[in-house]
Amino acid sequence: MQKLHYPGVEETLYYEQLPNGLSVYLLPKAGFQKTYATFSTRYGSVDNHFRSGSQPLTRVPDGIAHFLEHKMFEEPQGDIFATFASQGASANAFTSFDRTVYLFSATEQIEANLTTLIDFVQHPYFTDQNVDKEKGIIAQEINMYSDNPDWRVYYGLIEAMYQKHPVHIDIAGTVESIYQIDKELLYLCYNTFYHPSNMLLFVVGGIDAERIMELIRSNQAAKSFEDIGEIERFFDPEPQGVREPLKSLSLQVSLPKCLFGFKEKTNGLGSAELLRRDVTTKLMLETLLGSSSPLYQSLYDDNLISDSFGYEYNCSTDYGFSIIGGDTNDPDRLVERIKEAIGEALQSGLDAAAFERTKKKRIGSYLRMLNSPESIAGEFTRYKFRGQDLFELLPAYESLTLEQANARLREHFDFGQLAVSLVLPTAEQEAEPS
Amino acid sequence: MSFQQATTGRIRLHVLPTKRFKTFAISLFAGIPLQEDTVTKTALTPFVLRRGTQSAPETIAFREQLDEMYGAGFGFDVYKRGSSQIVQFRMDVINDRFVRSDSSLLARSMKFLGEAVTSPALEDGAFRSKYVDSEKRTLARKLESIINDKIRYAGERCLEIMCEGDPYRLHSLGRLQDLPGIDPASLHEAYAAWLAGAVLDLYVVGDTTLDEVRELAEASFRLPSTGPSEYGPPDIRRRSGEVKTVVEKLNVAQGKLNLGLRTGIAYGDDAYAAALLYNGILGGFPHSKLFMNVREKESLAYYASSRMDGHKGLLTIQSGIEIANYEKAVAIIKEQLESMRQGQLSELELGQTKAMLVNSLRELQDSAYEMIAFDFNSVLSGRRRTAQELLDAVQAVTPEQIVSVAEGVELDTVYFLRDRKEG
Repeated sequence: MQKLHYPGVEETLYYEQLPNGLSVYLLPKAGFQKTYATFSTRYGSVDNHFRSGSQPLTRVPDGIAHFLEHKMFEEPQGDIFATFASQGASANAFTSFDRTVYLFSATEQIEANLTTLIDFVQHPYFTDQNVDKEKGIIAQEINMYSDNPDWRVYYGLIEAMYQKHPVHIDIAGTVESIYQIDKELLYLCYNTFYHPSNMLLFVVGGIDAERIMELIRSNQAAKSFEDIGEIERFFDPEPQGVREPLKSLSLQVSLPKCLFGFKEKTNGLGSAELLRRDVTTKLMLETLLGSSSPLYQSLYDDNLISDSFGYEYNCSTDYGFSIIGGDTNDPDRLVERIKEAIGEALQSGLDAAAFERTKKKRIGSYLRMLNSPESIAGEFTRYKFRGQDLFELLPAYESLTLEQANARLREHFDFGQLAVSLVLPTAEQEAEPS
Repeated sequence: MSFQQATTGRIRLHVLPTKRFKTFAISLFAGIPLQEDTVTKTALTPFVLRRGTQSAPETIAFREQLDEMYGAGFGFDVYKRGSSQIVQFRMDVINDRFVRSDSSLLARSMKFLGEAVTSPALEDGAFRSKYVDSEKRTLARKLESIINDKIRYAGERCLEIMCEGDPYRLHSLGRLQDLPGIDPASLHEAYAAWLAGAVLDLYVVGDTTLDEVRELAEASFRLPSTGPSEYGPPDIRRRSGEVKTVVEKLNVAQGKLNLGLRTGIAYGDDAYAAALLYNGILGGFPHSKLFMNVREKESLAYYASSRMDGHKGLLTIQSGIEIANYEKAVAIIKEQLESMRQGQLSELELGQTKAMLVNSLRELQDSAYEMIAFDFNSVLSGRRRTAQELLDAVQAVTPEQIVSVAEGVELDTVYFLRDRKEG
C-alpha cells in the first residue's frame, strides 16, 4: 500500500492496485462520523461501440449503461437497497457520459456495507422478467426529464454541437431504445466494462486505512475474474464545426432559456495537457463571465440575465465544450452581447487584476470542495479516470499565468464552433382547471 | 458535540469550535411572522442587500471583496417554517492556514456580513432605486419561473390548495402582484421594521472560539437595540372536512401526483420521533412502502416518496406517473396509508427505517451547514434537543407509537397535474 501525503491541502491518501487490476484509494478523514464509498467503472453513455479481447465489434442501444446501473441493484434475494437499509447505509448510483458510479454512505457497519457494495456490483443478476419490469420505470424517468426544460436546453446544446460523437446521446436513451435492451446485451456490457481492471474503489471518512485495505484485498482474492483483454472503444471521427448552429424547441416555461457554447477543435490531449486545459478554461471563463465581472454586471443591469446565468466546461480525451447562458427575455441580444465581449477580449486579453482575483477565488472554491467527502470521491474518480490527480490541482491553479489564460481564450473562442440552444415559451401558459 | 451559546445585544450566538473543516461556516437567521402584508417585502430585502454596502456601494466592488477573500461564498435563502418567514444569510470562507492571507478571513467575513445586513448602500435615506428596480425584476422572474419545474410547481400548488386561508399558503418569496407597489422608500421602511422585529441567530462553525465570535459580532452588526428574542409556537391546526381533489392541466408528458396530509405533530412534540418513523416507513427511503409498491411492484413511477414538515405538522407525498394511471396510483398510495393505520409494520421495515434515521442524524455532524440547520430547527421549535437526544428517541420508538401517529394522519388534498389532452 502506497502512502501519498499532500501537505498543501493537509490530506493523506493510500493507494494499492490489486492483482486483479482493481485500483483502490483510501482517504482517512480524522473526526468524521461518516464513511462514503464509491465503486466506479470507466463506462458511461458514450461507450456504445466497443470490443474487448476476441469479442466481435458491437454497437449497443442508447441508454444501456444507465439501464445496467438500474439493474445492478437487483439480486436473487431481492432489492439491495433493503440490505443497505438494514445496515443503516444510504445507497445510490448514477451514470454519466464516461462513468457509472455506485455508492453508499454510512456511520456504522462500515465493513459490512463496503462488502455489500463490492459484492453487489460484482454480481450481475439479470432475468427476462426483471429486465422487462425495469422498462416501465425507466420510461417514466425519461418522461420526467422530457418535462424538465433545463435538461432539454442543456441536451439540446450538446445535440446541436455534436454530429457523430455519442456524447450527444441522452444518458437514459429513449423510450424506443430501451425497449431493445435484453439480458444478453446487459451481460455483454457488464462482462466488458465491469472487470476490476476497469474499475476504481474510493473510500473516504473516519476509516482505518490498513484494516479497510485488508478487507478489500481478501474480498477480491476470493473471487475470480476472467481475463477480458484490452477494451477498445470506437468513436466515428467528429467533423469540425457544429452540427447545427441553432436548435430550438417550445415548452411551458416563463422565459426563454438560452444556452450556447463552443466545441473544442483539437482533442486527444495527454492527461497533463488535458488537466491544464481544464483548469485554464475554467479560470478564463470565470474571469470573463463570473458574477463579479463587468460583463456579468452589465448584462444583469440591462435585464438580459438573471441569477440563473452561469457557465460550465466539460472536457475529456475525445470531446470538450463550454456551456454559457441561462434564462433571458432576449436570447438574440444576449448571445450578441457576449459575442461582442468575447471579441473585445480576443483583442485585448483578460484584465490582469481580474485574472489574479479570480485565481484566488478558484483556489478558495477548490479548498472548500475538500470539506465534502461526496465531492472528493466524485471529483477524484473523474480526474483519475483521465489519468489525473485531484490533489494536484492546487499547484496547477497556483502556477497558471495570464499568458496561458489568454492563449486558451484565443484557442477556445472560435465562432465557427459556436452553437446555440433555445427553449421558448409555448403559446398556452396558464394552468387550466380540469 | 454541541454549540456554545451566548447573547450579544439582539443576537443569539451559537458557536461550534472545531478543527475538522478547512473552512469557517457562518449563518445568520432572521425570522419574522409569515404574513400577507410583509411577505414580499421581506423576500425582496436580501436581494437588494446583496447589491452593495455603504463602504462598497457598487456591486462589482462589493463582490470583488469576496473574490479577494479567496472566493468566500456569500448567499441567502428565504423560506417559511411553521408560522415564520426566515431569511438565512450564509458565508463560507477558507481557514487562513491554507493560504497566505495578511488578515483573518473570519474577521473579514464577519465584517462583510455585518455590513451587508446592517449597513446597505443607500441614497436619500432609502435604498438605491437602481438596485430595487433590478431586484424586483429578478424576484418577479423567480416567482414566474416556478412553473418551469413541474415537480416543484405541483408541490407548491398542492400546498397552496391545502393551506387555503392560512398564511402558510404564501410562497416564501412572496406574491407577484405586490411587486409593482414597492418602491425604494417603502422597501427601506419595511427593511428597518424587519431588522427591528426579527429574531436573530448567528452561527459559526470552525477553528474559533465563542469569545472571538462575540467580539467580531459586536464590532460588525449595527442593530436596533430592542426586538424579540424567541419564536412563537407553531400553528398546526387541523382542518376537518372532506378531502379536496384538484386536477389541473399543463403541457406535460408525465402526470405529477401530489397528496397533502396533516399529522398534527410538531417538531417540538414528544411524538415527533415516532412521526419520523412513520414517514420513513411510508415513503422516506428506497426501502419504504411507497417506493416498493408504486415503483418496484407496479412499475408505475420513477419516483414515489413522502416528506414530513415538522414545523407545520404536514406530510406530502409526490410521484410522477403515466397520466392514464392516475386512479390506480391514488388507490395504491391510499392502500399504503391504510396499511400504516392497520399496523402492518414488519420488524424488518422498523429496523431498516431506524437504522437509516440514526445514520442521517449521525452523518449531519460531518457537515457544518447541516449541524447549523439541525440546531436552528431546535431553536425555532422552542425545544432544545441535540441530534443524539433525537437519535435516542428514534431508537426507543415502538410500533404502537407509530400506529398512534398513523391514526392521527388525515388526508387533506389530492392534486394531479396532467396534460391538456381530453380525458
